[in-house]
Amino acid sequence: MKVVFKIMDTLLDEVRRDLIRPHEFAAERVGFLVCRPARLNGGGIVILAHDYSPVDDPDYVDDPSVGAMMGPRAIRKALEFALNNQSGMFHVHMHEHFGRPRFSRVDIRESARFVPDFWNVRSEMPHGAVVLSNDSACGSCWVPGVSIPIAISEVRVVGSPMVSIRVQP
Amino acid sequence: MRKRFDRQSFLGPNSTEILERCHVAIIGLGGGGSQVVQELAHIGVGHFSLFDADHVEDSNLNRLVGATNVLAVSHASKTAIATQLIRGVNPSASVVAIPKTWQESADSLRDCDVIFGCVDSFAARQQIEVSARRYMTPYIDIGMDVHDLGDQFAISGQVILSMPGELCMKCMGFLRDDLLAREAENYGAAGSRPQVIWPNGVLASLAVGIFIQLVTPWHKQRRRVWYLEYDGNSQTVVTSNRLEHLKGTICKHFSSLEDLGDPFWSVEKSIQSQ
Repeated sequence: MKVVFKIMDTLLDEVRRDLIRPHEFAAERVGFLVCRPARLNGGGIVILAHDYSPVDDPDYVDDPSVGAMMGPRAIRKALEFALNNQSGMFHVHMHEHFGRPRFSRVDIRESARFVPDFWNVRSEMPHGAVVLSNDSACGSCWVPGVSIPIAISEVRVVGSPMVSIRVQP
Repeated sequence: MRKRFDRQSFLGPNSTEILERCHVAIIGLGGGGSQVVQELAHIGVGHFSLFDADHVEDSNLNRLVGATNVLAVSHASKTAIATQLIRGVNPSASVVAIPKTWQESADSLRDCDVIFGCVDSFAARQQIEVSARRYMTPYIDIGMDVHDLGDQFAISGQVILSMPGELCMKCMGFLRDDLLAREAENYGAAGSRPQVIWPNGVLASLAVGIFIQLVTPWHKQRRRVWYLEYDGNSQTVVTSNRLEHLKGTICKHFSSLEDLGDPFWSVEKSIQSQ
C-alpha cells in the first residue's frame, strides 16, 4: 500500500525549530503531528498533517539509555487528543544531520510498543511515527487492518517551493 | 529530449525532472484553460488530469487554443483537444482526460500537486477551493470578464494562488457571499459572456509563472499568496491592494481539522482500492 505524508512547509519548520531546542536532561525532543487521512485516487492513502503538539518538558522521563523517553502523561495526553479530535497521531523526532534519516533500533522498538495503542481510542485512523533530519524525512504508518507498519513512500512538503521527498521508488 | 529544455535550465538543476514528475489538474479547458495546457506541455509537465464536460463549437474558435474548424464541425470534446495539444508537444506525457464536470470525478484531484481552475462561476471556484484545501493542494485560479460600462467596455481579470494554510479567496474578498447569492439567483440566465483570446493569454501566462515559482527553485523571492488584477483596457497587471490590508491576517475559513482529509474516511475503502 502506498502511503504519502503531506505537510505544509511552515508547519515542518515549526516542528524542526521545536525539536532542536535543548531539554534539561533529554538528549532530544519529541512530539506528535495531528493528522487526518484521505484515500488516494490511484490506491493508497495520504496522511495530511494539520498541527503539531510538542511533548511538554515535565512529561519526559530521565532515561540516559535513550535520546528521549516519554512519560505516561505524554502518551495519555496524545491519546486523549486523538480521542477528542478524531485524529491520527504521528510521533515525530529529529536526527540533526543532512540527508535521509533512518529509524534507530530503539525508535523501531519503542514505536511498535506505543503506536498501536492509539487504536484503542481511534481504531479507524492510521497512526505512525516520523523521523526528520535537517532537510529530509522518513516514516512508518500503522494502517488499521494491516498487520505490519508500512513505510511512508513519499513526504510532500507543500509550500514555496513544493518539495517531494521520495523515500521509496 | 533534454536539449529541448536547455534554454530553461536556469529554472534549477533538477527542474526538468521536477516538472516531469509534476501532476497538474486543469479544470475548464476553454479560452483560459487551453492556454494553460499548452504552456504546461511546452515547459515539460509530465502528468495531466483534464476536466471539461463541453464540446467545441464554432463560437469557441475565437479563443480556444488547439481548436480547428474541423474539430468544431465534429463537436470534439474539449478534453480531446487538450490531450491532442499535449501529445503533440510531448508524446510521453501522461494524460487523464475526464470529459465530465470535475465534481463527477472529484477523486481524480486528490493525487495532483497543483490545481488550475479556469472556470466561469464564483460557485465553481468556491467548490474547487474547498476540495483543494481538503487535500492540501495549491489552487491557481484565473478568470476574465468584459463589463459593459454604457459608453465603452472594460476588460478585467484576476489570477489568484490559494495556498493551503494561507489566505483563501474569501479572505481576499474575491469570493463574497453577496456575489455567490446573486450568481445563484441568476443561475441559467447569464447567457454567453463575452470572451476574447488575448486577456486569456495574459492570465494563463501569469498563472503558469506562479506555478513555476511554486514547483521549481529558480526564484529567491518566494511568495505564498498571489492576487493579481488585470486591467485589459490599460494593459496592466498589479498586485491587488487588498493583500496589503490583509497582512498578518490568518485564514479562518479553512483552519479546522475538520476541513482536512476525507469527510467520510473509511479505511476499508482504502484497503479495497489497492
